[in-house]
Amino acid sequence: MEQNPYIPITMKLIKNLCETEDKLVNTFTLEFLSKEDEENFKYMPGQFAELSAYGHGEAPFGIATSPTEPGIIKFSVAKVGCVSNALHLMEEGTMVGVRGPMGNYYPMETFKGKNLVIIGGGFAFTTLRSMAVYMLDEKHRADYGDITVIYGARNPGLLLYKEELAAWEANPNINLITTIDRPADGWNKHVGFIPTVVGEVAPSAVDTYAVVCGPPVMIKYTLPVLEKLGFTPEQIYTSLEMRMKCGLGICGRCNIGPKYVCKDGPVFSMAELKELPSEY
Amino acid sequence: MKISKEKFGQSFDALAAEYQVIAPVSDAGSVSFKAVKKFSEVKQDYLNSKLPPKSFFFPQHEKLLSYKKEGKEVTVKNELKVEKTILFGIRPCDAKGFLLLDKVFKNDQYTDPYYFERRDNTIIVGVACNKIAPTCFCSSLGLSPASSVGSDIFLIDLGDSYQIEAISDNGKFLLGGFEGLEELSNEDQTLVDTIQSAETTSKVDVSTITAKLDKMFDSPYWDTLHEKCLSCNACSFSCPTCHCFDISEEVLKNEGSRVRTWDGCMAPLFTLHGSGHNPRDQKKSRWRQRMLHKFNYFVHNNGDIACVGCGRCIKNCPVNLDIRQAIDGVNKAELVVD
Amino acid sequence: MTSTIDELRKTARQLLTDGKVDVVIGYEKGSLPLKATPCFVRSPQDVDKLIWDETCENNLAAFVAKTSGKKAIIAKGCDSRALMVLLQENQLAREDLYIIGVSCQGVIDQRKIETETGEIIAASLADGKISVQGIECDKVFSFTEVKDITCQTCRYPNPVLEDVHIGGSIEVTEQATAFADVIDMENKSDSERKAYFKEQMSKCIRCYACRNVCPLCYCQECFVDCNSPKWLTGGVDSAENLMFQTGRALHLAGRCVECGACSRACPQGVDIRALSRKVNKDVKEMYNHESGLTEEVKPALNVYSADDPEAFLVKE
Repeated sequence: MEQNPYIPITMKLIKNLCETEDKLVNTFTLEFLSKEDEENFKYMPGQFAELSAYGHGEAPFGIATSPTEPGIIKFSVAKVGCVSNALHLMEEGTMVGVRGPMGNYYPMETFKGKNLVIIGGGFAFTTLRSMAVYMLDEKHRADYGDITVIYGARNPGLLLYKEELAAWEANPNINLITTIDRPADGWNKHVGFIPTVVGEVAPSAVDTYAVVCGPPVMIKYTLPVLEKLGFTPEQIYTSLEMRMKCGLGICGRCNIGPKYVCKDGPVFSMAELKELPSEY
Repeated sequence: MKISKEKFGQSFDALAAEYQVIAPVSDAGSVSFKAVKKFSEVKQDYLNSKLPPKSFFFPQHEKLLSYKKEGKEVTVKNELKVEKTILFGIRPCDAKGFLLLDKVFKNDQYTDPYYFERRDNTIIVGVACNKIAPTCFCSSLGLSPASSVGSDIFLIDLGDSYQIEAISDNGKFLLGGFEGLEELSNEDQTLVDTIQSAETTSKVDVSTITAKLDKMFDSPYWDTLHEKCLSCNACSFSCPTCHCFDISEEVLKNEGSRVRTWDGCMAPLFTLHGSGHNPRDQKKSRWRQRMLHKFNYFVHNNGDIACVGCGRCIKNCPVNLDIRQAIDGVNKAELVVD
Repeated sequence: MTSTIDELRKTARQLLTDGKVDVVIGYEKGSLPLKATPCFVRSPQDVDKLIWDETCENNLAAFVAKTSGKKAIIAKGCDSRALMVLLQENQLAREDLYIIGVSCQGVIDQRKIETETGEIIAASLADGKISVQGIECDKVFSFTEVKDITCQTCRYPNPVLEDVHIGGSIEVTEQATAFADVIDMENKSDSERKAYFKEQMSKCIRCYACRNVCPLCYCQECFVDCNSPKWLTGGVDSAENLMFQTGRALHLAGRCVECGACSRACPQGVDIRALSRKVNKDVKEMYNHESGLTEEVKPALNVYSADDPEAFLVKE
């Protein structure tokens, strides 16, 4: 019998870090227990895994690390229910379960030779971090053109990956624009909602792909801005969220039209989404 | 070939010593599939079971794995033990139902080991329908009351004997152990011909439904179809091809298991996100999902309609929301042209 | 009953034509013999779909809160009691509701018929007789033979709350001992009762038809769906099922109007009524209360008074 896709591998939680000022989002760093486990977990930016807090349940989370960061994987999780609460309270050193990698991934091959505009809002930035770190890695950087990141949150305390952001500010290989909704003390960077800031930054659509992740309302208002800048639906990608259970396209829960977000997604181009029903 | 029921019963009883044999039995005024040891326990004259036999491959409650926590450590175990089984008395609609479920539990990327471990260790003995209920409509879905599709051995009840035929290799293997096979008489053949040419009386037209539904997502037809629906899961649980499930934990102190349990898209909280957002919080969108999934999405993904015309949902729906009327409604609905 | 149907349709037609209501919630002929189905009539020309006879088994009060606008509803005795409780619990606005009351003879239990005739192919109802052509055999039944078990001991066939009454009233004849069925069950030994409920509960498949068909089960998140804390697992063994059924019966204490819709809705024929009947008997004995009869008397467990009986809490 083939490997059972319902059985998780065991990984060790080595770091439980509170990312945001409101204490709602933590980043968990998990360590592979063996080289073999890591070999069997080859993943690409955009994929997710089902994380098990034994005794509480299992839930899907986007992988925030890039495959270029060996030995570990990271997830950033908002505290909303049973599983996420259990994870937030978990002591470092606890063993958890991981099933994955699952889903499709950002089309890094298609993106080769092109410029990238990465747009993220709030804590939807997880898999975008994975993609940015992947591209910035010295093995890959030359494959891609200009990389622009536009990342916004309600206030500075709610931005994730503050260390990365600081490093990217200083990095000439990436153009980072961060924004917050309203002015705040000590903030001298952009102020304004993502759609407005995208309009101000006005990245060129020539030879460029845009990847947009965030709350539905943010995506809804950002798309017209991108279209006005000349981006076609084939040039815009996003990652969708849905309630998932099996992650394998079997339990029937996460479909949009005939596509299962867990197996045929979660990454879709706007052109693909236009073929699918507008609601669920 | 044919075999007397007496001789058949003898082979049946011998097999019951080697295999787990599941057959239709009388159960509080209706019929259920249960384990039997003797052919005499089997109900001879029946229409079909109350609930579909999918539970033998896809149980309503199934342990996927168990675990034990000790401090920060955990040990995870997966024990799936299956017995070799014979499923006897399966009607053509349910046998086809299994073929449709096969496509769900093995897709282009993953195979479900729990379903297939049971499936691969089971032999299906199908029996043609001599009686047709007013709620049956399998003939409209490319089947017939005497279709042997999906069965390993197929029987036609001739009264005191069965016409018996091996359909698959597994069937041939099992049939090899049967004694007392004889040729059909002319009378027998006439009876067989009658049964084989029977059709269900209730009819629906699904010839253009998939193409029609491609254009109907925003149709106002969905605004009223759902009104009397109660959003229970009586239809989903009665359906041989419905396969949705939930995964949850059952825990006692430091030990627990991860289980899967039947769920259904008709339930209001089926698609509720952790954030509180629920994409299908309206009955309208849930009924649209049910029709589109069975008659459109499943066709696009797997090449077949996910309905076998068994009629159980029609009989079991507390408000008599009849899927045949829904099919007619879709066929008749005016397309809204942009 | 013919003139009742004509009156009913006339009333519905008038209400819709005058714009007094946006929709009339009633019954129409179902797709199966001896089965009626709920229908939502919105235009005067559709009122001829409406029927009223012994096949009208659903409790339409379950649909009222979910339907928007001003609605008329055809209500039998038990349905009107449910509407009363819903009004008392602020689930409905009285001004949005026009209650068309009809007195009810009771409804048919198709399962009783099917145990004798097999699946019903065709049937007709006339003068208290039901002629059935079944897949096993044909038979003629008298209505009383196949009356639903709940209807057999019904004491409120006439609506308790209505804006108009169609047809005559029904006189309630002297009944045998109230709650005789519960007393029977109470008199069984513990092990007999345990065996009975274990067997009944092993049939339950947790489809929640019973819960959803009940007009008084309207919680946005039912206790079975709650996962923090997780009251019930997904298990479908008789123990978990009994937890669900007893939990539901207790949540309906002092509220259940004994319409019997739950038992009729159950695809597995579980004896759901047995638990609710027991709870209703206890409520009647402890609080002298039956739900949904008058506007002033609120559901027994929704109000508190200092002299409430406490026999189930306090050892005397």
